[in-house]
Amino acid sequence: MTNRKGGLSKVFDYFCNEDPFAEGLSPCPGCPLELALRLLGKILGSQDLVMTGTPSCSNPVMTGQNVGAWHRLTAYCTLMTGAAANATGLSRQYRRSGQDATVVCFNGDGCAADIGFQALSGAAERGENFIYVCYDNEGYMNTGVQRSGTTPIGAKTATTPVGPKQRGKSTRRKNLPLLMAMHRIPYAATATLSHLEDFAKKLLKAKEKKNEGLAYIHLFAPCPTGWGVPTHQAIEVCRNAVRTNYFPLWEAEKGIFTLTHQVKKPKPIMEYTRLIKKYNHLKEDELERIQEEVDYEYEFLRHLTEFRKCVATKHQTAGE
Amino acid sequence: MNAHARLLGCGKKGMLNMEGTEFNKTKIKVITGNSAAAHGAMLCRPEVLALYPITPQTEVVEEISGFYASGELDAEVVEVEGENSAMNIITAASAAGARAFTATSSYGLVYMYDALLQAAGYRVPIVMVNVNRETPGITAVSSGQQDMISTRDSGWIQIITSSCQEILDSIIMAYRLAEDFDIQVPVMVNYDGFYLSYLAEKVEVPCRADVDGFLAPLKDQPQRPILKPGEPMGFGTHGILEGYLELRYKHSTALERAKVKFDEIDKAFERHFGRSYGGQIDTYRTADADMVLVASGSLSGTAQKVIDLKRDQGLKIGLIRLRMFRPFPRERLIETLRGKKAIGVIDRSICFGWNSGPIYVELRALSPEIGYIPMMSFIDGIANMDVSVANIERMVRILQSASEGDSYQKVTWIGMEEE
Ligand SMILES: Cc1ncc(C[n+]2csc(CCOP(=O)(O)OP(=O)(O)O)c2C)c(N)n1
Ligand code: SF4
Repeated sequence: MTNRKGGLSKVFDYFCNEDPFAEGLSPCPGCPLELALRLLGKILGSQDLVMTGTPSCSNPVMTGQNVGAWHRLTAYCTLMTGAAANATGLSRQYRRSGQDATVVCFNGDGCAADIGFQALSGAAERGENFIYVCYDNEGYMNTGVQRSGTTPIGAKTATTPVGPKQRGKSTRRKNLPLLMAMHRIPYAATATLSHLEDFAKKLLKAKEKKNEGLAYIHLFAPCPTGWGVPTHQAIEVCRNAVRTNYFPLWEAEKGIFTLTHQVKKPKPIMEYTRLIKKYNHLKEDELERIQEEVDYEYEFLRHLTEFRKCVATKHQTAGE
Repeated sequence: MNAHARLLGCGKKGMLNMEGTEFNKTKIKVITGNSAAAHGAMLCRPEVLALYPITPQTEVVEEISGFYASGELDAEVVEVEGENSAMNIITAASAAGARAFTATSSYGLVYMYDALLQAAGYRVPIVMVNVNRETPGITAVSSGQQDMISTRDSGWIQIITSSCQEILDSIIMAYRLAEDFDIQVPVMVNYDGFYLSYLAEKVEVPCRADVDGFLAPLKDQPQRPILKPGEPMGFGTHGILEGYLELRYKHSTALERAKVKFDEIDKAFERHFGRSYGGQIDTYRTADADMVLVASGSLSGTAQKVIDLKRDQGLKIGLIRLRMFRPFPRERLIETLRGKKAIGVIDRSICFGWNSGPIYVELRALSPEIGYIPMMSFIDGIANMDVSVANIERMVRILQSASEGDSYQKVTWIGMEEE
């Protein structure tokens, strides 16, 4: 976290803002979803915020499963299939009736990458005016930790167990933030909860950019319960995900990529996987395979960030 | 039109200066059912529309796109990537206060099934056109009512129309019904794919001011709950036990109220535009009839012709055209059918598990009130099979012999079974 001269990081200012969420939310102990939601509310402010949420781990907070909603926000409960479509309907009507609104979809990866992907991609292509935050806990957690499209290779889940015939998930994760950036939407970014200043900046940028079209933030949010992470270590997992380049922090504006956090000397993937029980079964060669995946994806991203130079010289306006 | 309505019509016109002059006067046009639907929807000034094509509905979305391009329709038009999203878009837009519209058919209707249920559960007053077509299973790009039937327990109001004029008029009435403060339930306006969708007929297209005037009373009602930024409210929050039960109860009783309301709206429509359709059901020569055929949609025209033919031959027969399928017009059906000697129900879809027509099955539930008289199910008009004069005459023959006390078969698959 970069410090401002002679004081605390800017993100601490946001923590002084009004919190639209009640005290004592209902995620599992140590779940970073609570931090994500509170910070999002404080940064975007509740005056024009309209939140939508799906059935997921955010549901108990957003729509008050069994109790009552835990916030004082304007909120709309969507289906997993149509989250982005519901946000489209809301934002279109607010635009038409001239009401300022920041419509935010706050959805899990299961919705964003899988069952709700069509609606999300459609909204991106049409340039709808809202923010879509996908919190990625790499699986369907609310239903009890099943694999999703973003579950990484080798990870153990309830539907990709470990046994003589299976070694966790056998296919690689879907790189959803990259897919979203490839729509060349005004803003696509990755963020995580160990780098709050970066997250805060990206949220504010998303709010500004959503007036030009869809703004997408992919928030890496480990699930202590489902991954087998001690309740005090979720943020450490986030930090190591960044340090190992497992989850690089970047942003893309209309397809022009920038790394927002350079990792000078990336640590080996072991530094990340050793914190997480869902990788406990992996042998050295399997970990190497994961390292290869990480290296490939990072290299791919690095090339994308270099693309900016060719664009600048060849087609000045391509990024416009 | 009352003074208030007229005022409102003028006011609106002044506001929307983009709008063309094409619809400033009532006009007679020769247009297809699909075009009539597009005209009806546009005249109601929907604010958010989601459009996705499917045969035989495609012309509706194309024509609406045309209205938008020409400036006749001032709205947010979403060229959406699928029907599931279409329903989700208009549901949320309506929750945010918009008058919203979409149109679909068959595969599209079932593809939006989860969103369809949510729209009903959220009690959003949206209107959707469904152009009846066979559903997935056996691929059949053809007419049939199975699509509408398969969504009958979704909590929507379902209206079935039988002419191009009635399509246009019913959409206007549908908004009046859906948005009524005492109802607040989405309305699906159905018409037969292929037969009506592509049939060109003479249609009186009302002028904007008249439609504005007819819909004006909706503005004088209390405000329904609307989701607004800065005004904390949960739309579709989680509810279980008594809370859920209460919402279901209220939804169900709203549907009960919708029946009489629909009759009233039909009468108000007649006063305003000079056309009426009978409300929940349209009866033809039933008063003194011994036998009654029950039908719906475009085949009713053919059935009416057969009724006339048979009346000329001295047979006391009449026709009920079902205009409202959900809620089911129990009271009016009982009133019309009580004391008759035989009833034949023509269904263009199948109630699997009962091996009979769905509308027939529902009418059978009225037997205690109507009397235990011969009641027969005729399955016909499946997948574009014409319900011809000859077919209906055959039904009447079966009906007649049953009414005279002969033994009869309860279910006949016309076209499958030789006479
Ligand atoms: C159409 C549909 N299918 C299945 C479900 C059951 N379901 C509820 S929550 C959930 C998992 C959601 O996963 P994700 O979006 O990643 O959120 P998370 O639970 O991880 O927070 C599923 C599959 C559902 N609600 N809707
Ligand atoms: S299951 Fe995981 S993601 Fe869900 S609330 Fe618990 S810790 Fe958080």
